[in-house]
Amino acid sequence: MNWFDSAMHRALLEAALVGAMGGVVGVFVVARRLSFFTMALTHATFPGIVIAALLGINLLLGGGVFGLLIVAGVVMLGRGRGQDFTAATGVALAGGFALGVVLISAQSGFTKDLTAYTVGDILTVDTFDLATTAAVTCVVLLTLAMLGKELLLRAFDPDGAAAAGLPVVLLDLALLALVEMAVVATVPALGAILTLALLVGPAATARLLSDRLALLFPLAAAIGVACGLAGIWISMVADVAAGASIALLVGAVFAVALLLRRGVRRPRRSTALSGAD
Amino acid sequence: MADTAPPASPPDGVPPDAPPEAVPPDAAGPQAATSETVGPEDGAPRERDVTLRMEHASIAYGDVPVLEKIHGIVHPGEAVALIGPNGAGKSTLIKAILGLVPVVRGRIEVLGRTPALARRDVAYVPQADTLDPDFPVSVEQVVMMGRYRKIGWLRRPGRADRTAAAEALEQVGLTQRARHRFGTLSGGQRQRVLLARAIAAQPRLLLLDEPFNGVDAVSQHALLEAISVLKGRGASVVISTHDLAIAHLACEEVCLLNRYQFGFGPAEEVLTPECLRATYGGHALELRGDRVIVAQS
Ligand SMILES: Nc1ncnc2c1ncn2[C@@H]1O[C@H](COP(=O)(O)OP(=O)(O)OP(=O)(O)O)[C@@H](O)[C@H]1O
Ligand SMILES: [Mg+2]
Repeated sequence: MNWFDSAMHRALLEAALVGAMGGVVGVFVVARRLSFFTMALTHATFPGIVIAALLGINLLLGGGVFGLLIVAGVVMLGRGRGQDFTAATGVALAGGFALGVVLISAQSGFTKDLTAYTVGDILTVDTFDLATTAAVTCVVLLTLAMLGKELLLRAFDPDGAAAAGLPVVLLDLALLALVEMAVVATVPALGAILTLALLVGPAATARLLSDRLALLFPLAAAIGVACGLAGIWISMVADVAAGASIALLVGAVFAVALLLRRGVRRPRRSTALSGAD
Repeated sequence: MADTAPPASPPDGVPPDAPPEAVPPDAAGPQAATSETVGPEDGAPRERDVTLRMEHASIAYGDVPVLEKIHGIVHPGEAVALIGPNGAGKSTLIKAILGLVPVVRGRIEVLGRTPALARRDVAYVPQADTLDPDFPVSVEQVVMMGRYRKIGWLRRPGRADRTAAAEALEQVGLTQRARHRFGTLSGGQRQRVLLARAIAAQPRLLLLDEPFNGVDAVSQHALLEAISVLKGRGASVVISTHDLAIAHLACEEVCLLNRYQFGFGPAEEVLTPECLRATYGGHALELRGDRVIVAQS
């Protein structure tokens, strides 16, 4: 019997993949304060999914293509007023979700498909989904590695990046598109709402534990993978929803890191003071 | 080109700005350093002597110009102070020299090229407090950012880059803080790190936007030292500041700005009570006949 024939095995592999990808992409999401944008994406890709369901094509493809349109729109709208995507994101969030609702209410009968989509079901992931997630993970991680230093400069000092002659609009497009790909690949497993947990939580936790950028990526990826695998195991043992277990674990790990940092901080601060001249 | 007649718009009492075209030949150090740094591709000998050339430049974000008829020349090894009240257009002029804000009339040339094409040889030092202090980046990583252009896409920093970054950090006296997070440094120290980043880029034109705001005497001294080392190597420096004393200390040229140019030339000629009063409107107060203090009413 093939290793991939087991739903449990597929779920574990899927959880590890989206955990690693979410952790790494999340470092940029947290550093550039794109949490709201990520949340908006999970909702704004909704009409794409509805349209794909109507046309009978792959839901992932529909959500992905629609998400790219949203990304392009947000970058263009955000250009006029400096580097802040917040307002444009708000418009995209409301507009996208509204469009999805309108499309759904115009057509009745396929709401069952879509509820799975909003909550997700990692235990029903098939080999095709798995291959897609693996491919997306590779593309996302490779691109981040290749554009890493330019994305870092753009994130830290937007004007400085432009002054250095970097193509800042293209870099923004690239980063938002990577976040979007991660979102679309994670949604079938965790659902539109719980996806946010994996794209923000592990990176935010890593950020609490370390100030060093080079450490953040492996740390966030490890936290993402660990929460993913443990979440599946808990859902098996306790017979509860897998996606929700993963999201709850991410939250718990974040809370523990927060407490740890509180405890560690006081002594560390006093040594810093005594060390200063 | 032909519009050399003084415009009607600047208030009266302003001397027409005529920046001296001739290079002072006595500046031996900078000249020698320049011929060394100038690549063979910059053929015309005329361009060797000019880092920044502004010719009746008007600069606008949209349709309405924010700065008009800016005219002046900066030579290698020289520093010019941009002085003017809040909203005068100092930051705008710096961004135009970087090619980030369009010149709608006249022109700005950097090293004989358009600003956008000269960026490789220009370094920009933003105000440290415009950067996110929570960003997880170390001091040495920030300095290394100055090398990114030279490193190029898809490549990692090499030994030469690490040496240049370490030397730049040494020059601003912050070697011991290399591994600290950028945001844990004081405002003045962060400003010095940003200057180190610019030094690491080995620029021929350095642009600093209000580098001395909220900076203590120690950091100010370190900044001035590092700037004068760069000037000694033949780089030109443009510094926007509100501090007339620093303009006197660090710069041999001064450009008075407030939408128009109210003077461009040697500090002692331009920083006169009349010119300052014209630039700042009614907010300039005179002390003892020769010193002027600018009051922000
Ligand atoms: N992005 C922008 N879009 C439109 N107008 C702008 C923009 N940035 C600045 N301005 C306008 O240009 C003028 C000059 O602004 P600038 O920031 O260059 O002044 P400044 O001399 O640097 O002032 P400060 O001393 O306060 O830093 C101001 O009237 C400002 O309102
Ligand atoms: Mg300014």
